[in-house]
Amino acid sequence: MGSYRRIDCIFFSEFHPTLGPKITYQVPEEYISRELFDTVQVYIITKPELQNKLITVTAMEKKLIGCPVCIEHKKYSRNALLFNLGLVCDARTKTCALEPIVKKLSGYLTTLELESGFISNEESKQKLLPILSTLLEELNVTGACTLPIDDSNTIHLKLIEQRKDPLVVQEYDVPVFTKNKDHFTKSQWDLTTQQILPFVDGYRHIQKISAEADVELNLVRIAVQNLLYYEVVTLVSIFQYSNVYCTTPKVQNLIDKKCLQEECIHYVSKLGQRTNLRDVFQLYCGLTPGTTVRDLCSRYSHQLQRVDERKLIQFGLMKGLIRRLQKYPVKVVRDERSRPPRLYTGCHSYDEICCKTGMSYKELDERLENDPNIVVCWK
Amino acid sequence: MSSTAMKKKVLLMGKSGSGKTSMRSIIFANYIARDTRRLGATIDVEHSHVRFLGNLVLNLWDCGGQDTFMENYFTSQRDNIFRNVEVLIYVFDVESRELEKDMHYYQSCLEAILQNSPDAKIFCLVHKMDLVQEDQRDLIFKEREDDLKRLSRPLACTCFRTSIWDETLYKAWSSIVYQLIPNVQQLECNLRNFAQIIEADEVLLFERATFLVISHYQCKEQRDAHRFEKISNIIKQFKLSCSKLAASFQSMEVRNSNFAAFIDVFTSNTYVMVIMSDPSIPSAATLINIRNARRHFEKLERVDGPKHSLHMRMR
Repeated sequence: MGSYRRIDCIFFSEFHPTLGPKITYQVPEEYISRELFDTVQVYIITKPELQNKLITVTAMEKKLIGCPVCIEHKKYSRNALLFNLGLVCDARTKTCALEPIVKKLSGYLTTLELESGFISNEESKQKLLPILSTLLEELNVTGACTLPIDDSNTIHLKLIEQRKDPLVVQEYDVPVFTKNKDHFTKSQWDLTTQQILPFVDGYRHIQKISAEADVELNLVRIAVQNLLYYEVVTLVSIFQYSNVYCTTPKVQNLIDKKCLQEECIHYVSKLGQRTNLRDVFQLYCGLTPGTTVRDLCSRYSHQLQRVDERKLIQFGLMKGLIRRLQKYPVKVVRDERSRPPRLYTGCHSYDEICCKTGMSYKELDERLENDPNIVVCWK
Repeated sequence: MSSTAMKKKVLLMGKSGSGKTSMRSIIFANYIARDTRRLGATIDVEHSHVRFLGNLVLNLWDCGGQDTFMENYFTSQRDNIFRNVEVLIYVFDVESRELEKDMHYYQSCLEAILQNSPDAKIFCLVHKMDLVQEDQRDLIFKEREDDLKRLSRPLACTCFRTSIWDETLYKAWSSIVYQLIPNVQQLECNLRNFAQIIEADEVLLFERATFLVISHYQCKEQRDAHRFEKISNIIKQFKLSCSKLAASFQSMEVRNSNFAAFIDVFTSNTYVMVIMSDPSIPSAATLINIRNARRHFEKLERVDGPKHSLHMRMR
């Protein structure tokens, strides 16, 4: 997990009938200066138009995230209770993950006030100080907090880090587990994922998984995309001996990083055997445009004695040490009257075409090699 | 209506809970006194623009009186608040237990006014007088007035005693607004002409939305010096009651053996009240006269500067 967003301070601010907006409690004490509060107070205890909205204001190199609450009732002096429980961070901090926390806390406090007058009662309000303390501590250290308030209310909070949107998963993509599959607790996942799991072996592509697991193609794509989002799997391409790969600049990492070396050796070595860095590195460097895996096997048979070439390729793709060179057919000569090409546009790889049309690689190759109107690009 | 209306900034200040927003709501927003109980505290400054008589816009700054806000007004917001002020209305809660603190804030205001808007007119309202025993009211008000006039030097202030529960509220605001109307002398002149022509005992001109008396004429002394604000108060309440029943108040005639009073819509921005004590003049005649005068007064309102002289032909 990434490091948690550092919360520098948690504060509870309210509107006092004669004093006006003030900070009633803050942890750590005196963190928000008089000057800072004066500058931003109009966004902490706000006019009606801004109430009950999440507001982040940046000033004096600090970011304050809060949600001003207004509870109207004639029992309150001036007919309303106004308060705001907020967080303070450094202005450069990314605070998206904190926003749901602030919103949730404002909801908790509102409920507590409506149910039992938690805030308007001076005695129970004092409990807020230790609550703020605990919140600050736990959110910063573990990113989560479970805090009983009274007999009927408990606060549950968890910082959920936002991840990037995952790629679209194609039928010809191959999902491979990034961590040890045994550490995967099946029962925590949905039924679709559970059903396809046995077929995610780093060699079967989506279309194949769909056929063999008897799950509809789109569902498999979505399930794998979900696994991708949580970084449980990564995607590689279909393995064939006719595939061509080449190294990327990242292959240098294999030389520089000891832990990567260890991981690699462990991953690619044949069962019961152990290869060495020299052999592995030579093999990776042997992958060049024009060289198929078959070629590699015949040229480097010695080095491959202790190495599983499929695992070698898989590891290289997962870590970005090598990349696949795909063939993209383009129809260059075409009759004016005929329809524009659907798949032979230079944007669809052999893998994709084979998946979509059901042809085998060999069949497709034969068909295209003999067609003078089609040129094949490697990229 | 004139497109180049004059804008005048009116600052409404005073301690928290002294009654500023309540007063503003009654005079300008059609609240009745009882409704003001529902109001919440004013956060920082509430701005409102009130169109008055067609050629005047009152830019009201209702300033929340809590300590934090007050301190801000005198420091970081000083220029913004105290520049270009036409009128400062300072509200004192007569029941306040912190007289020294109230005076301290008042004086800080005056200081800032002196620096930024030295020509501003200053009004002090000693408010919530209904909470004072009736027989004490004059005395207490006199005391406060003396103190305030003394403390305000070298600036001059006009003091009023007010309460949202009676007509004193209207008296104060009428007087304040009267100072702001651009062509008030001309209005009074024309009203006098009109009254004399129709032989009225008294004529009052009210602003249409607020029912504040903005001009009047009387040909002889009357008994009750407070009748103007009482009428404002009574008619406004009646007008609001009518609208609550989805009816809109248009006009009223009240008569007995001694007098006849006519209240009617006058121009697009005013109501008029005409009091006739000559019983021989029939209602119809007075009503026709009022109708004829309308056009001329309407023209007066539409004009920008005080360049016109008005000629009225009466039958």
